[in-house]
Amino acid sequence: MGDIDKSKRLTLWYEELLGKDFELVGKKNANLGEMMKSDIRVSPGFALTLYANDLFIIETGIKKELEKYVSSLGEVNYDKCVAAGEFSVKLIEEATVPAIIVDEAGREYQKLCDMAGVKNVPVAVRSSGAVSMPGQMETYLNIRGEEDLIEYIKKTWSSAYFIEAITYRMNKGLGYLLNIGVGVPKMVNSRASGVIFTLNPLNGDRSKISVDVSYGLGEAVVSGLVTPDSYLVDKITFTVIKQNKGSKEIQCIYNEDGSDIQTAEVPEEDRKKFCIPNEELMEICKIAKAIDKYYGKPYDIEFGIDADLPFPENVIILQVRPESVWNKKKELAAKTEVKKTAMDRIVSQLVTGVKVK
Amino acid sequence: MAKFLDPHDIPTIPGTEGWERMYPYHYQFTTDDPERAEHESKQLWYYDGLHYPEPHYPFDLIWDEAWFLALSQNNTRTFLVPPANGIDHRIVNGRVYITPIGIEDPEEIGARIPVFTKRAGYYYENWDSLYENWKVKVNGLIKELEAVEFKSLPDVEDESVVFGNTGIGSGYHLLTQYDELIHKGLKVWQYHFEFLNLGYAAYVTFINTANAIFPGIPISTLTKMVSGIDVVMYKPDAELIRLAKLAIENKIEDIILKPGSAAQVMAELDNGPEGKHWLAELEKARYPWFYISTGTGWYHHHISWNDDLDIPFDALRMHIQSIQAGKEVGRPTEKLIEERERIIAEYRALIETDDDRESFDQTLAIAQRVFPYVEDHLFYVEHWFHSLFWNKMRQVGDILSEANFIGDTEDIWYLKRDEIRDALWDYVTSWATGTIARGPSYWPKEIEWRKGVMKKFQEWTPPPALGTPPDVVTEPFSIVLWGVTTDVLKNWLKSVEAASGEGSDELMGAPGSSGIVEGKARVIKSVKELGLLEEGEILVATTTSPSWAPAFTKIGGAVTDVGGAMCHAAIVCREYGLPTVVGTGTGTSTIKTGDLIRIDGDEGSVQILKRA
Repeated sequence: MGDIDKSKRLTLWYEELLGKDFELVGKKNANLGEMMKSDIRVSPGFALTLYANDLFIIETGIKKELEKYVSSLGEVNYDKCVAAGEFSVKLIEEATVPAIIVDEAGREYQKLCDMAGVKNVPVAVRSSGAVSMPGQMETYLNIRGEEDLIEYIKKTWSSAYFIEAITYRMNKGLGYLLNIGVGVPKMVNSRASGVIFTLNPLNGDRSKISVDVSYGLGEAVVSGLVTPDSYLVDKITFTVIKQNKGSKEIQCIYNEDGSDIQTAEVPEEDRKKFCIPNEELMEICKIAKAIDKYYGKPYDIEFGIDADLPFPENVIILQVRPESVWNKKKELAAKTEVKKTAMDRIVSQLVTGVKVK
Repeated sequence: MAKFLDPHDIPTIPGTEGWERMYPYHYQFTTDDPERAEHESKQLWYYDGLHYPEPHYPFDLIWDEAWFLALSQNNTRTFLVPPANGIDHRIVNGRVYITPIGIEDPEEIGARIPVFTKRAGYYYENWDSLYENWKVKVNGLIKELEAVEFKSLPDVEDESVVFGNTGIGSGYHLLTQYDELIHKGLKVWQYHFEFLNLGYAAYVTFINTANAIFPGIPISTLTKMVSGIDVVMYKPDAELIRLAKLAIENKIEDIILKPGSAAQVMAELDNGPEGKHWLAELEKARYPWFYISTGTGWYHHHISWNDDLDIPFDALRMHIQSIQAGKEVGRPTEKLIEERERIIAEYRALIETDDDRESFDQTLAIAQRVFPYVEDHLFYVEHWFHSLFWNKMRQVGDILSEANFIGDTEDIWYLKRDEIRDALWDYVTSWATGTIARGPSYWPKEIEWRKGVMKKFQEWTPPPALGTPPDVVTEPFSIVLWGVTTDVLKNWLKSVEAASGEGSDELMGAPGSSGIVEGKARVIKSVKELGLLEEGEILVATTTSPSWAPAFTKIGGAVTDVGGAMCHAAIVCREYGLPTVVGTGTGTSTIKTGDLIRIDGDEGSVQILKRA
C-alpha cells in the first residue's frame, strides 16, 4: 500500500508501519512497526493515525473552538495554560467521536478479538506522539469492549492537553494544537514470561543468550519473587548449553477485572516442569538474536508468552533496553595466550592438559 | 570421588576358570608383581566399549594388540608427546580395559617438547602431502593383502617345485603366508597411528582455544566448524543413494523393491538392458565402497556389505522409498557448507581482541587441516582393510577345518593368533612327515569349552570403569574419543551405584548432538536388528557404525553406552540433526525396548518416562 493511501487512513496495523511513518502514527507506533519488520515480534495491534485525531477535532468542531480560545488568550502565562488545558480536555472528553472513526476502530478491534479468539479482548491504549513530548505518556491497561475503547482513545487524545505537555510545547515554541497517534495493542495474557540477556551475564560472552522464564506475568521474574527456569543458549547455533529448572512457587496474574496484579501459587505438578516447551525457547532466542543484531549490541529484553495466541505469534517482546554492565566495560583483555605459531599452541595445550569443568 | 572396583577384585564368572589362556598372558590384571599390581590399582581403567561392545574372541584381539603397540609407541617413542605416553591395555572376562599413561615429571615433559615440536611440526607443516602419501602406502598394503593366498597342501608337490628348482615347499609357503597376513594386519595399524594422535592434538587445541574465548561452546559446534564436506565415510551411503536414483531414472526401482534376496533381484535385473547397466554401476560402487563394515570392523562377524549384499539392498530400498516419498536423502552438502561458513563467521565476528582472533584463526586452520584424516582413516583401515583381512583369515579357517583341526571355518576365531600359527605348524609338519597331527584331538574340545566361556562373558555386564579415578581427566584422546571426562566419571559412578540398587530412571552421558526428543526406545545389539526400527523410535546401542546411516533417516534420536562428541554416533546424528546422548555407560542395560524415553542432547541426559 502506497504512502499516499496511508496518510489518509484512520488506522494502520503495526505490521504495515515503518520507522519513517512516525509522522502518520507517532514515534512509538512507528517504532513497533519497524521492530516487527526486523523479526522482533511485539503484541499484535493497530494504531489510530494523527489524521484520525485531526478528523475528530474537525468533525466535532473542537478544532475551531480551540483555535478561537487560544487566539483570545492574549499573553500566555502558567495559569492561563492550566485553564486552557482543562478546557481542552473537557471539550474532548465530552465530544462524540464521529461514526466513521468509531466504526473503523471497532472493526479493527474486532479483528484483534478474532485473532485472539477472545470476546472483548483486553487491550492497552497508549499515546504516541510524532514528536517526543513529556507528559503524554498515558497508557491505559486492560481496556475491554468497543465502547470503553472509544472512551479511552478520547482520553488519550486529550492527554496532549495535560499541563506538562502544553508548557513543553510553549517553551519549544510549538503550536498549541497537537494531534497524536494512539496505539491499541492486545494486552499480553502472559502464560509465562521472563527476561533475556543477549550475552552471558556472568562473563560477558557474546556468543550466548541467557533466558530466565517463569509462569504468569513478568513481574515475578523481574522482581525476583521466584527462582525461574534458566537457560544458557548458544547464540549462533541455538544449542542449549545449560538449563536449570527453577522452583517457581508463585506467579503474578491480573485480577479478574484487570485492575491490579496479584500473586497466586503455582500448582505442584507445574513447578516440576520447565514452564515453556523447547520450541518457544527457540523462538525467544531467535527474536533475542534479531534484537541484538538490530541494535548491534547486547540487549536486556522482557518477553511474554501469550496464552491467547498460537505459536509462534504468542512469543511477544514487551520491552527492550541496552544491557548495562558489559556494554560499559571497555578494557578488553585477550582470553587466549599470545603465541607465534599453531605448533606452539598445540605444545602448550598438550602440556597444560584439558581442564574439565 | 569414590572409587571403582579394584581391577584385581573382579570375580571370575563360575564355569570360566582358566579363561586367561584365551588371551596373551600380559593382558591379565595380576598381583604376582607387587609394583605392577600397584600400578594397576592406582590407574583408572575404562572399558573400551566404544570399540568393543562385546567380549573378545581370542583371535579378534589382534586389533587391540595392534593399536596397543601403534598408539603407544607413537606417543612415547616416536613423537614424544610431551605429557603423554601410551595407553595400557588389560583384559578381564573378555572385556578390554584401557588406561592412559601420563608423564608427571615437569623436567621430562620439558625435555620432550623440542623433540615433539620438531617431529610433529614436520607432520603438521606437510600434512596434506604426507596424507596423500599415506593413502598410497595404505592402498599398496591393501594390494599386498589381496595377494596373500592360502592353498590346501597337495599330496605330491607340483613338478614346478622340482623343475623350476624353487626349493620351497607348500608347507613353508602356507606358514609364511599366515605370517605375512598377520604382519600386514599389524602394519596397517602402524600407519593408522602415524597421523591420528597428531590430528587429535590439533583438534583438542582448537577446542580449548575456542572454549577460552566462548566459554561453554559445545564440542558439537566446534566439530561442525572443522568437519570436511567430502568425507570418505559417507561415500558408501552416497553410492547407495546414487544407485537408488539411477534405479528410479531407469524405471527399474520396482524390481529392487520386490521382497527377496539381493541375488534374486540381481538375477532379475540381469534380464534387461537397464538392469544390466545398473548392475555394472553397482559393481563399480562395490570396490571399494561396499567394504564398509556393518559394524565397527573390529570383530570378525562385522561383515561388510560385499559379504552380504542383502544388507546394502535393504538400505537401498529404504533410500528408494524415501525418494519416492519426496524426502531429502543423504547429506545436504551445500547446506552443510553454508552452515559451517555461517557458524564460523558469526563466532569470529564476536571475538573482541586481535590476539584472540589470531588464536582462533590459527587453531581453526590447523584443525581443519587435520580433520579429513581424523574422519577418513576409518574407512581405509577398520573397514576396507579389516573386511578383506577377515576373509583371508576365513581361508585359513577353511584349511584347518578341512584338516579337522577345527569343526568349522568360523571356529578359527576361538584361537589366539599365535595358537593358529602353532596349529599350522602342527598341520604342516605332520603333512610333511606323513604322521598324525595332534590338532584334531586337541583343538575341537578346547574350542567347545571356549565357546561356553564366551557365552558366559556375553551375559556379564562390564563395569564402565575400574580402579582409581584421577582428580581431573586431562588426557586429550580419552576425552575426545572416548568421552571420558570428570563429569562422565561421576555419572558412571552414579550409574554403578544405581545399578546395584533398583534401576535408575535417569541416565547421564555426554551431549552428542543437540536437541530434545521423546520416543519409544529400541535397543539394537547388532546390525541385523536395524530392520526392527520403527519411524521415530530412539536408537539405543552400545555404539554405532557408519553403515547404519540409512537407519538414521528413520529414528528420532540416539543413545549410546560409549563415546564422546567425536564418536561416530555423535557425528552422524549431528549430520542428520538428531538429538543424541553418548557415553551413558549403561544405556543398553538400563533401557529396554519399548520404554518411553526423553533424551536431551544438549544436557546429555536420558530419562525413562514410562517403562514398557
